[in-house]
Amino acid sequence: MTVVPQSASSVSRGGGGGGTASLYDILELILDRGLVIDVFIRVSLVGIEILKIDVRIVVASVDTYLRFAEACNRLDLEAGRKAPTQLTDVVGKITEGGARGKTKGALTGAVEAITDSLRQESDRDDEEPELRRARPVRRPARRREE
Amino acid sequence: MAVYVYSITAATHPQHLDGLTGVGDPPAPLRTVRAGPLSAIVSDASEDLRPKRRDLLAHQTVQQRLMADGTVLPLRFGLTADDDNAVREALEQRCDEYTQRLTALEGCAEYHLKAAIDEDVLLRQVLTESSEARRLNDDIKAGDTNPDLPLALGELVVQEVQTRHQALAAGIAEALRPYTRQERTSEPTGDDFLNISFLVDQENQERFLAAEKGLTEELGEDFDFRMYGPLPAYSFV
Repeated sequence: MTVVPQSASSVSRGGGGGGTASLYDILELILDRGLVIDVFIRVSLVGIEILKIDVRIVVASVDTYLRFAEACNRLDLEAGRKAPTQLTDVVGKITEGGARGKTKGALTGAVEAITDSLRQESDRDDEEPELRRARPVRRPARRREE
Repeated sequence: MAVYVYSITAATHPQHLDGLTGVGDPPAPLRTVRAGPLSAIVSDASEDLRPKRRDLLAHQTVQQRLMADGTVLPLRFGLTADDDNAVREALEQRCDEYTQRLTALEGCAEYHLKAAIDEDVLLRQVLTESSEARRLNDDIKAGDTNPDLPLALGELVVQEVQTRHQALAAGIAEALRPYTRQERTSEPTGDDFLNISFLVDQENQERFLAAEKGLTEELGEDFDFRMYGPLPAYSFV
């Protein structure tokens, strides 16, 4: 395979609706990375910046705990009996190299709420709504769908 | 007139930009400003340029097109210079540095990977493997209304979920690392547990993609992998 120039959206394989989802997922690269030349001036990003979903302020809170407790209470453990075994196997397998990263992933209800409202906000004034994140969502019913 | 600056390439880059336009409304024509061995791709920018999301797409499209024919240093979105002369001076001032970066990135592309896992699957796993979580969950479901129980359950589950997310993220990065030159991790957002960019040499690209494909197949449909690339090396310039 060679470096094949793809369309602007350049998705090789995304969970979402092809090119439309892709720009959303690489926004942070376009907005926050790339070469900066310090004598140049950055235009105002009002109206664009709001798309950056980097609010991750509440990692552990009562709300988060309660949301997770509820999600557990709602689970039908019998229905998903097979899944955990498979997952455990795979996790063991891919982590057997002993890698222990520092990635700080956490699901937080509060953050979800904030980002949802940000999204709604930006959806309202946005003329190009197709750039919203669109991907298959599998989540507990209590969380709002996008 | 102010100019919007997209990228820097070698002056020898063919810069096939036919059919593309730049940022602004109406979209401005693209052109190049040359400075010795370097070129910048620019377009005129009105003083009151207020970029919209379509401008993000224009910025990104220019990079992708340039990537097809050679190495590119993509600028961060939204940078403008006073005029062509200011661009030329900036290139001349850091000529060696930019030339070195272009050489270093030759034949490389960025791949960006985000991943999420179905939350219910993870919760089932926690409940199956932690007897304490299971006991708390059973008590609540049996009708125990002690308000401490959901908090204790939630706190325990959040910790367990985080631990598993971290292990998964580390495992995935570990599995792909052998095919990459550099990597850069960011805080995952939303439902994701992984948000990582890799710099991949052209010669390793096929193996890298095969490894990623293998991972997604191995991990199955409980996982949502979103891989983007080849992209200009935004994270590694």
